[in-house]
Amino acid sequence: MHIYILRRLLLMIPTLLGITLVVFMVMAAAPGGISAQSLIEGMDLEPQAKKALEDYYNRRYGLDQPAPVQYLRWLNNVSPVGFTLDAEHRIDGFSLWKGSDLGTSFRYGRPVMDLLAERVPITLLLNLLSIPIIYVVAVAVGVRAATERGRPFDVGSSVVMLALWSIPTMLAGVLLIGFFASEQYWRWFPTAGLNRREALDMPFLPHWGALWDVLLLFGAMAAGAAAFLALSRWAPRRLRAGVAALVGAGLGYAMAAALPGGAGWGLQLLLAVALAGLFGAAGYTDFAGFRATLLGTLGVMLGAHFGAGWMGEGFVRGFLLDRLWHLVLPVLCLTYGGFAFLSKLTRSAVLENLLADYARTARAKGLAEGQVLWRHVFRNSLLPLITVSASLLPALLGGAVIVEAIFSIDGMGKLAVEAVQGRDRELVLSITLVSGLLTLASYLIADLCYAIADPRVSYD
Amino acid sequence: MEKRFTVKDFSLFLVLALLGVLVLLAMYMVDRQWTKLAEMQSIMEEQAQDLRGLRNQLRTLEQRLAGGGVALRGGAAGEEAVPPAFRRAWDAAQRDDYAPGDWFVAAFATGLKTITPLVSSDAYASEVQSYVLESLLTRDPETLEWQGLIARDWKVSQDGLRFTFRLRDDVKFSDGTPLTAADVAFSFAFVMDERIAAPRHRAYYEKMESVTAAGPHEVVFRFKEPYFNALALAGGMEILPRHFYAPYLKAPETFNQSRGLLLGSGPYRLRDPKGWTPDLGLVELERNPRYWGPVQPSLNRVLWKIIANDAARLTTFRNGEIDVYGARPREFQRLVDDRQLKARAQHLEYMSPTAGYSYIGWNQRRGERVTRFADKRVRQAMTHLTDRGRVIDEIMLGYAEIAVSPFNPRSPQHNPAVKPHAFDLDKARALLKAAGYEDRSGNGVLQGPDGKPFEFDMVFFQDNEDTRRIVLFLKDLYARAGIILNPKPTEWSVMLDLINRKDFDAITLGWSSGVETDIYQMFHSTQTVSGGDNFINYRNPELDRLIERARATVDEAKRMPLWRACERTLHDDQPYTFLMRRKSLVFIDKRMHNVQITRLGLNMHALPVEWYVPPRLQKYTR
Repeated sequence: MHIYILRRLLLMIPTLLGITLVVFMVMAAAPGGISAQSLIEGMDLEPQAKKALEDYYNRRYGLDQPAPVQYLRWLNNVSPVGFTLDAEHRIDGFSLWKGSDLGTSFRYGRPVMDLLAERVPITLLLNLLSIPIIYVVAVAVGVRAATERGRPFDVGSSVVMLALWSIPTMLAGVLLIGFFASEQYWRWFPTAGLNRREALDMPFLPHWGALWDVLLLFGAMAAGAAAFLALSRWAPRRLRAGVAALVGAGLGYAMAAALPGGAGWGLQLLLAVALAGLFGAAGYTDFAGFRATLLGTLGVMLGAHFGAGWMGEGFVRGFLLDRLWHLVLPVLCLTYGGFAFLSKLTRSAVLENLLADYARTARAKGLAEGQVLWRHVFRNSLLPLITVSASLLPALLGGAVIVEAIFSIDGMGKLAVEAVQGRDRELVLSITLVSGLLTLASYLIADLCYAIADPRVSYD
Repeated sequence: MEKRFTVKDFSLFLVLALLGVLVLLAMYMVDRQWTKLAEMQSIMEEQAQDLRGLRNQLRTLEQRLAGGGVALRGGAAGEEAVPPAFRRAWDAAQRDDYAPGDWFVAAFATGLKTITPLVSSDAYASEVQSYVLESLLTRDPETLEWQGLIARDWKVSQDGLRFTFRLRDDVKFSDGTPLTAADVAFSFAFVMDERIAAPRHRAYYEKMESVTAAGPHEVVFRFKEPYFNALALAGGMEILPRHFYAPYLKAPETFNQSRGLLLGSGPYRLRDPKGWTPDLGLVELERNPRYWGPVQPSLNRVLWKIIANDAARLTTFRNGEIDVYGARPREFQRLVDDRQLKARAQHLEYMSPTAGYSYIGWNQRRGERVTRFADKRVRQAMTHLTDRGRVIDEIMLGYAEIAVSPFNPRSPQHNPAVKPHAFDLDKARALLKAAGYEDRSGNGVLQGPDGKPFEFDMVFFQDNEDTRRIVLFLKDLYARAGIILNPKPTEWSVMLDLINRKDFDAITLGWSSGVETDIYQMFHSTQTVSGGDNFINYRNPELDRLIERARATVDEAKRMPLWRACERTLHDDQPYTFLMRRKSLVFIDKRMHNVQITRLGLNMHALPVEWYVPPRLQKYTR
């Protein structure tokens, strides 16, 4: 096993070399090539001044050297073992511990490390919120769909998820902003950015004017949650569906009434019926976890709404809540399309195992269906999920260009695209290196996880 | 029996995790309080320092009073108090509904990399810097004459090589340090220092030989040769405080890689002159409490948010969170009739003198081969074929005007007698026939004397929707005259490469321009070298001489006829087919009062600040 890991780690080095080499070659061979031209345009300068400018950048970043030399220099910079250079960029020695340096981006004029340190936390925040949501929802729905194959839940969930998957993010983002961030419809969320200007002057955590208000808000939320969870858990099916539908209709009506200028009868009815149907279905379904989550969330939100209404003056949202409030729409955009693939995968894996002999044996020896599903079948269905999760680690740092562009968030996606457009050698290569490294590392981890999840897999 | 993970364990784990998260958040919170505290402390220190200065002044005044050494300067103080540069702002401040206060919020379409002066290269950063840094002179928006801002007055030597400025003695930087001639001299020395990453500015000041302080409030600029734009160069140089920037000469890399080192004497300042970072997602300037000017700026803060998406920017404007929105023609036409928008925004369309013009450049020499566009008659015919009136009506919806020449039609450089070439199919055919192009085979396509069809590639920037539509429209127009245009949409970096190698037939681009447009870079024959802006290989010795003479003439009255002669030649030669000058189309929140269109364009970023918000409309308290 150790030898296997060591071998895999050593194999990463040539692979990474290959990745960066190919990327560098493509960049150097592309029309336009690697040059400081994009830095020079923009100002009406005389040619000798332009030449001086170009010389300056060439000297500073070594852009006039032949492409192979540029690549080797970059490689030497990045590798922790290599030649040391003097101020004139001449080799003056060899060092085993000179440390690796990702270099300076010539578009930004700043070290790549600084740029990454600025962008990575933002991307990480987005992905740490959206990836767990995708996985939890998709796996839960997939397992449920497998146990209910052919029934309305299976068909309905697969239709809904495929429909969501097929909506382009570009469109969804703009529509979400247009409807839920605009004065013209419902202005619930902000249009862009990660925090409001006012939030910079706020305390980090929310702040209440009086202790009583805190109790009131959390009490209302808890009461709402308890009421709806109780409804979901113990009430008979018709009752809970009826109550949920009623609440939905009320919310729909309130939404229509909140439209500026008021809404016509048709729209009020439409919204009320749509929301009533949605919540009614949530109350009606016998998928207990799903029902409890949805109704519980609804209860918490209703509680929070009324609690906030009863609260006295002096509530300050705080930086944290403001940040979260800004993240709602972007995270929504990042998640909705991701359910379909994972849930289909889970469904097929679980389905295959549910029909296997050992599952029948487990049932025959009198195990409850839940036990069969979660203790036997689900564990065996994990292998394909592990395969997919190999892409998780690079995905955490991989930015989503479209979502970032729509919501004006400066993440890794925008950085990477701008780097490629500006032919920013250091930045492109560094981003490739980092994502390549993460991809290879997560492949290794996934391979090791196979061995843990499935005793039949062994690397000795 | 194996140990099982029960619900009890789960809830215990949950509670512990929750506690951990709460502790972490509380730590964050305390940390933030700490930085807030430090911020407040720095403000207190600043104020204490101000108080000390004030007390000192008072003491000296008292002593002088006691000694009887004060002579009152007559009663004319009220009139001469307002220097001409502040006249417009002063007039606004005298209005009945004027009140200081409120914010002005605008939006940038892309994030800023840095707002450090010299290092930054984009227009957005210089917009921010213009509120913080001041220069010796400023242009009057109506007369376009230069007038003193920090300079009290100036003298030009006979040969036009020496400019002597006398500075005001009451100017202070926003940290309270007085501005002297040494700061002006330092600003030039700092730019010229090879270690500072400001090659762009060094190239710009190339014609300047030296800047020296002749006294505490007198500074002398020397030029290497007579240059028509010398006063603008000297008077427009941004003055950097020596005490703030000089330490970076010892650590130039810190300066080159910095993101927000910005301090000046302007009406606004960064709260922390070293602390701005791009990840804040906005740029915020606050009123400079120590501003020296006789008229204090009206707005408390100027804010720029970063909103990359067009739809999101419009929605944000509708929501009232930003105060300006620049629209494209089609959008503008639709939004002008929008009832909701009408209620809260005023719309303006104006010609900005700095917006420049777009054109089609006809390459006269591609590689070693002389192209068909080297013939003046062909170029003239192409201009006659380009129906600019219809392009403007149908694609720009009328929000543009035909460009006659590189000179702004509202400037004295332009001769009103020069009219654009009209759209004239017959005349174009006649010109082409004279040049040897006619349809000999009868297939509807013109052939040259060598029998080859008249066919060429048109390179344009792929991401601009308006340009794409214009090129496709021209393709149809030219086809009617038997000329085949092949559209070549191109990525920006590839386009730069093509321009550098001059490897194209025709290209459509735009030039921005200043108040007085210099055409040396685009049309002088020395600029046809690689990297030059005369990438169409246009050579006209007569024009070269005219341009050289105009540039070396410092006297404006003598210079303008020379520019007009240049225009006449260009109009006849048509090295470019000048397409159009676009109108700027903007919506501005109704809160903003005293919105005017001047000869410099909209007075949105005019300094000293002219806009204000009447008290009943003020939205942002504090």
